[in-house]
Amino acid sequence: MATLLTEKRTIAVAKTHKGREPQAVEVRGLVKRYKDGTEANRGIDLEVQRGELISILGPNGAGKTTFLRQITTELAPTAGTIEIFGEDALAAPQRVKRLMGITPQEAGLFGSLTVWEHLHLFARLKNLSSAAARSTTIEVIQTLGLASESSRRVSTLSGGQRRRILIALALLGRPPLLVLDEPTTGLDPSSRQAVWGVIRRAVTDGAAVILSTHYIEEAERLSDHIGIIAQGQFIAFGTLDELLGRLDRSYRLTWRQQLDPFGKDCVRYFASFREAQHFVGLEQPAEYSIVRASLEDVYFDLTGERFLNRKSEETA
Amino acid sequence: MRRLTEIICVFRIQLLSLRAEAGPFFLAGILFPASMYLFARAVSGAQSAQDHNRVRFVAGSIVFSISLTSISWLGYLLLENRFTGRLKLFATLPLAPSSYLLGILLFAFAQATLATTALLLVGRGFGVSMRPNIPMLTLVIMITVLCLCGLGVTIAARARSFTEGSLLTDALGAGLVFLAPIYYTPENMLPGLRTVSQLLPTAFAARAVETTLNGSYHVGSQLLALCLMAALTLGIGFRLTKWREE
Repeated sequence: MATLLTEKRTIAVAKTHKGREPQAVEVRGLVKRYKDGTEANRGIDLEVQRGELISILGPNGAGKTTFLRQITTELAPTAGTIEIFGEDALAAPQRVKRLMGITPQEAGLFGSLTVWEHLHLFARLKNLSSAAARSTTIEVIQTLGLASESSRRVSTLSGGQRRRILIALALLGRPPLLVLDEPTTGLDPSSRQAVWGVIRRAVTDGAAVILSTHYIEEAERLSDHIGIIAQGQFIAFGTLDELLGRLDRSYRLTWRQQLDPFGKDCVRYFASFREAQHFVGLEQPAEYSIVRASLEDVYFDLTGERFLNRKSEETA
Repeated sequence: MRRLTEIICVFRIQLLSLRAEAGPFFLAGILFPASMYLFARAVSGAQSAQDHNRVRFVAGSIVFSISLTSISWLGYLLLENRFTGRLKLFATLPLAPSSYLLGILLFAFAQATLATTALLLVGRGFGVSMRPNIPMLTLVIMITVLCLCGLGVTIAARARSFTEGSLLTDALGAGLVFLAPIYYTPENMLPGLRTVSQLLPTAFAARAVETTLNGSYHVGSQLLALCLMAALTLGIGFRLTKWREE
């Protein structure tokens, strides 16, 4: 309960930044209850400003994709409101989609089309003029490193290249809001870095971005605010520093008693570096490392997944 | 203007996809119906077949082709879009579901035009004497396409799985032709099914196409029936095709 109150305070602080212009995204009391009674989202509030990037983290089945699909008007909410740049997304889905670039978690491409044809035709479907569609297609092809593939049929491309096309489709026409559902899943590290650069540039240019991800590093590197969602609601929301500040013991000691490459790591958190060093002096482990706690530690602390496993390892 | 652009873009996407499927289209839209013409002619008495029978067989093959391309092919295409996630791509766009469907219908018209022209040439090649009333034939073909596409759209929107949907569209695409008195006279049908078989959209379409191939304009009642069926099937299909899930 205390956590929820903290989140509401955080959101209230965010509200004070509200200027005369409408927010990029304003979600209030969003509830999604399926016919079988499953509550995928349980009263989510969120505000996203222009030029702000919000990452949403959470375990599988936490309700991230359900939340994003409601923002993109693909799924009707059971209760709550969604406004995109002041427009009611539920009442005017086509109008708000003109302001959005969307990368769904899973979507199929037209394999018989070339990369150029695919992007150009979808740019036209975004109501861009022929000339504008042409220039934005050239732009996204270059931005996402697809120039050498532009005349290849989509069916001949690798999974990573197809994923980049899905991101490219979202970027067509430089929409002021990007909703990206696990955009870099399946990409190799260098492609992921390239996509991060593209997303950063979009934010610098003033776009608001909401992205869900399973990569903690992605959230750490890109986000202005990070929301951790579990069981259909935000259990934490804030900047990286705010989230790290939630940990009482922010130094992580990882050690092994024997130099065994297959041995399990033991993990313990300490309030200070000195305390961790003291512990090392007492235990005399074969190898160890002391690092500042990261978002990963906050995530595991809040969602109780691997963090608990580590504790049990430690106990063992 | 924007809506027209949307429709044309959806049409172009499907048309470009046809490049990779030109062979199967030739097979399903032209070769198979042309073979059915030869089969019907052979079964009905080969060389002794009268010209009016031959015209009926050409009309039947045209309707068969439209049925295969509008129900089976289009249905398959819509199912593929739905179950492989392509529909999601359209759903991310500021595109009305009706524009998507109209683009698909335009593609069906293009397929029907191509197949009908080819089958008319095949008929001519086989020496069938026809005096096609082109404007009226075009109208009949268009309404038939609308009516049969409506069935494909409805199945594609309602099917619970790709397999279920494709089985239904395949069965309907061929079944509606063989159950209707197209390659045979109504008298040859079982008495209990005779009336029903004559009320099938393919039966109205075959009669109308045959009439226009004989140069006549008198297809008012068939066109009216086809229009009503098209309004019904497309009405249901458009209603069922939604971007937003509940």
